[in-house]
Amino acid sequence: MIAERAAPTSPAETPSARFVPADGTGIARIVIDRPDDAVNSVDVRLLDDLMHAIAAARSARPRGLVIASGKADQFMAGADLSLLRGASQQDAERASRRMQEVLEELAALPFTTVAAINGPALGGGFELALACDRRVMADTPNARVGLTEVRLGLIPAAGGTQRLVRLIGLPRALDLILGARQLTPKRALRAGVVDEVVHPAVLLRATGEVALTGGKASARGGRTAIERAITWLAPLRAVALSQARKRTLAETRGFYPAPLRAIDAVAAGLSRGMAAGLEEESRAFGELATSQTGRNLTSLLVRTLRQRRAAFEGLGAARPVGRVGVVGLGFMGSGIAQSAAVAGMTVRARDRDAAAVAKGISSIRKLTTEAARKGAIERREATRVTGRVSGGPDLAGFRHADLVIEAVFEEIGAKRAVISELEAVLRADAVIASNTSALPIGEIARGARHPERIVGMHFFSPVHKMPLIEVVRPAGADPDAVATAVATAVAFGKTPIVVGDGPGFYTTRVLSTMIADAFALVGEGVAIEAIDRAMTEFGWPVGPLQLVDEVGLEVAAHAGETIAKARRMDGPGIVASLADEGFRGKARGGGFYLYEGRKRTANPRVYAILGVTPRATTGGIAGRLTTTFVREAQRCLEEGILRSADEGDLGAVLGLGFPPFLGGPFTYARERGIS
Amino acid sequence: MPRAVILGGARTPFVKAGTSFAELDVLDLARSATAEALARTEVDPRDVDEVVFGNVARPVAYHNLAREVVLSLSMPARIPAYTVSLACASACLAITSAADHVMTRNAEVVVAGGSESLTNVPLTLTPRLARSLIAASQAKSLPAKARSFAEVRASDIAPVAPGIRETSTGLTMGESAERMAAINGIEREEQDAWALRSHQLAAAGWEDGRLAAEVGPVYVDSTAVITDGHIRRDSTREKLATLPPVFDRAHGTITAGNASPLTDGAAAVVIASEQRARQLGLAPLAVIRSYAYAAVDPADQLLIAPAYAIPLALQRAGLTLDDIDVFEMHEAFAAQVLSTIRVMEQNGAGTIPLAKLNVMGGSIALGHPFGATGARLVLTLAHEMKRRGARYGVASACAAGGNGAAIVLESIAA
Repeated sequence: MIAERAAPTSPAETPSARFVPADGTGIARIVIDRPDDAVNSVDVRLLDDLMHAIAAARSARPRGLVIASGKADQFMAGADLSLLRGASQQDAERASRRMQEVLEELAALPFTTVAAINGPALGGGFELALACDRRVMADTPNARVGLTEVRLGLIPAAGGTQRLVRLIGLPRALDLILGARQLTPKRALRAGVVDEVVHPAVLLRATGEVALTGGKASARGGRTAIERAITWLAPLRAVALSQARKRTLAETRGFYPAPLRAIDAVAAGLSRGMAAGLEEESRAFGELATSQTGRNLTSLLVRTLRQRRAAFEGLGAARPVGRVGVVGLGFMGSGIAQSAAVAGMTVRARDRDAAAVAKGISSIRKLTTEAARKGAIERREATRVTGRVSGGPDLAGFRHADLVIEAVFEEIGAKRAVISELEAVLRADAVIASNTSALPIGEIARGARHPERIVGMHFFSPVHKMPLIEVVRPAGADPDAVATAVATAVAFGKTPIVVGDGPGFYTTRVLSTMIADAFALVGEGVAIEAIDRAMTEFGWPVGPLQLVDEVGLEVAAHAGETIAKARRMDGPGIVASLADEGFRGKARGGGFYLYEGRKRTANPRVYAILGVTPRATTGGIAGRLTTTFVREAQRCLEEGILRSADEGDLGAVLGLGFPPFLGGPFTYARERGIS
Repeated sequence: MPRAVILGGARTPFVKAGTSFAELDVLDLARSATAEALARTEVDPRDVDEVVFGNVARPVAYHNLAREVVLSLSMPARIPAYTVSLACASACLAITSAADHVMTRNAEVVVAGGSESLTNVPLTLTPRLARSLIAASQAKSLPAKARSFAEVRASDIAPVAPGIRETSTGLTMGESAERMAAINGIEREEQDAWALRSHQLAAAGWEDGRLAAEVGPVYVDSTAVITDGHIRRDSTREKLATLPPVFDRAHGTITAGNASPLTDGAAAVVIASEQRARQLGLAPLAVIRSYAYAAVDPADQLLIAPAYAIPLALQRAGLTLDDIDVFEMHEAFAAQVLSTIRVMEQNGAGTIPLAKLNVMGGSIALGHPFGATGARLVLTLAHEMKRRGARYGVASACAAGGNGAAIVLESIAA
């Protein structure tokens, strides 16, 4: 699962995997520990060293073998993705075969092998664990197992699609692979992908004991008779596979080939044997890794991971944030407060009266209970999370806040009033962040006693799901304050991008510009549904006019006007006219569409107001609107609103739903030659 | 010796057991009061050295309620915490223990409070059933397990509510109060008048915002509970007179109207050394000047001990009753308050001027969550002293078993 040789094997003489001969109990170990990296990711050298260690184990003939990690809080990751860049299809395919060979060797050892999973074991790391006979997992908060390759546009290509199916059966294996699911220890045990979950302190002893008593693995193909029947009986399997293909096609709308290829590999292995399955895995991996989609998706992940450090470039030193104040506990504010509490911070919230606070706290509880139900956080931790949030109708308890995020409604007077109240009680080194999607931070901060500590943190809705935070750095901002906001975003588990101040910053500005062009199309007589359909068929999650209805016409009008005014353009007249007529959005009287139950139809008033007769052409629409988006993004980079094209790509994909397989607006522009 | 000062605090609304807080347990309430006390005093949890909580009817799950408060609020895990019990004066004990630790330099900042959920009292099994269950769980064979239940009677099936009868006398609290009323000649009319006064003053305290200032909201589902639940603004002498006696139906004087009700609630105060308070830039409300505990034979007048604790605490402070500007006395029963005043007079300890006593009502109108009441008394007293510019104040509480507590506060300026 790797592509090319990285740096020469020097400087370290220490191998990435070493064999430790049997102790008194007869259990030998292979310890994986890349000397040149804090993370055990798979590279050529690691595979070579692992092959040597396996060979040493085979000739030593211990009673059992434990595969352990030398890293304190990680088992093993997948392939070192940076190695895939520039690799040819043959390189990628060969890399997959190499890792398959090594793991085949491991699986063929004549004694029991046990993986000691002490932390995350994802992608290739979990494939290594699956090649062992048994798996014991430490019960630590960060431990996760899963085959997450399809998220990168790839498939598990070191036997993962073969061994997982044989271990837990077709139905559940497909669910884990196609969903790229990451399982907590508790869920991994329930899913049957690990044999035991133990306290980290007893992991080594437990793996040793399992190695003595566990025995070699057998391909059970599921826990229940039904699962085994679906796995092993060809006619039943064919039905299950065809259903999975149909579901996958519906979900990916044909943009993402990887899940289908994973199904193919699983199918090949079950009908024609493991060797055929492995061959299909490598072939698919080679093709996917070098396809545009695969490259774009892996590049996005690499850039997302890198951004957690790169976002700090050129900023000051982040101050520690343990206590967060949140002003305004509405939909956004409660989502923000919940993210902070999940991140371990203590939150004090304020809203206009106790009843408003009660509603916010209740929705924080709901979000947290839901997260616990989904297994994202542990049940007892969920109680602690809600215990970290308190609040009231005044600013009592704000004096020790390290960071206050205001999320009151989008009106500059309201925001300025909050800031002046905060300045009266906060410590001098506390940072104030304004959550706004369009209002320039510099204007919000005007008149403040200490405007330099006021920054923007533009959260996306719903906060608990959306992975992006746009940190706005107004002119004259204290670099430490900006760094503090960025560090907080990272602590929330989000990806921060740092943008310059200005109406709509980056994300709202490019989105509004594209939406304005969609309005122009309607004005030219293109049918509303035609525009939205063209955009979703292009890969956007939702069409621009449907989106306006979802966020509400007043909000959209406000954002549009803020940006238009600043750029001395006309505001989105059609939205204002519709809002005036009582069309305020979905579930609020309709907007560009009228809603009846689940059905939507284009609102004829739109055409009447604009004086046009709609045509149902779709040709060129998505290309035009996407290009409008891309051009505006390029202008943001030229004007210095964006620091880099990478941040522009991440912001558009993570915040606005720019089709990920296209890699982001700048990647798209490079490929299509848009400038 | 450092002086122990009260920085402030907060309490939850006090509501009738089984109403708004029915689904919250004693920890939820304690946590709410603590979070609010810390917020209002602007004390950073990182500066807290200890947490002490008083509680009476403790669920088995919380071996140490105070420690659960620390952990469930994600306060620094290094903060030691302990739970104390002195029946209805439990929070007084929490506060004086905290003061002791501060004055002996064993702590600098302590959260002291109390919490009670009389909705969720732990029910137990009859001793016979409990013994049988344990024997059965230890028995080796099925017949032996079955034999373990041989002695269990049908009447053992019902669970047992925690004791409201004095172990030593077998009398309930109400019966004991009836005896006090009789011994001290407290008439029904006097008791009803006291109860009416309690409701009227409490209502006035809410209307002008004095009580609201010490109460923080509790969020249940998607509503906020912000006010006390017991106060009867429509109460009259006539209405009170119609209520039947509860404990002695033939000759009794004590009714549901002139006794304190079963209540859910919690209260907490933050206590610090004076120097540390200055260092943290926090303005104290009052100094804990002295305190005393006293006890009497429960067979005599069960709830009379404050009549002895108050003079003792004053003596320890070098003060007399005349020096005191405000009194906060726990009102278990109107009869008990009036008996205490009378007995102090008889003993030559002086007369408590009624105009200075429970100036915003007391437990009859506000409610009485056993473990929390002591902290409510001290919190209210400290706030009221500050408002009045009073120099000295006394809080007192009677407790089951014949115990009584008194705490003397002094204004900070002195």
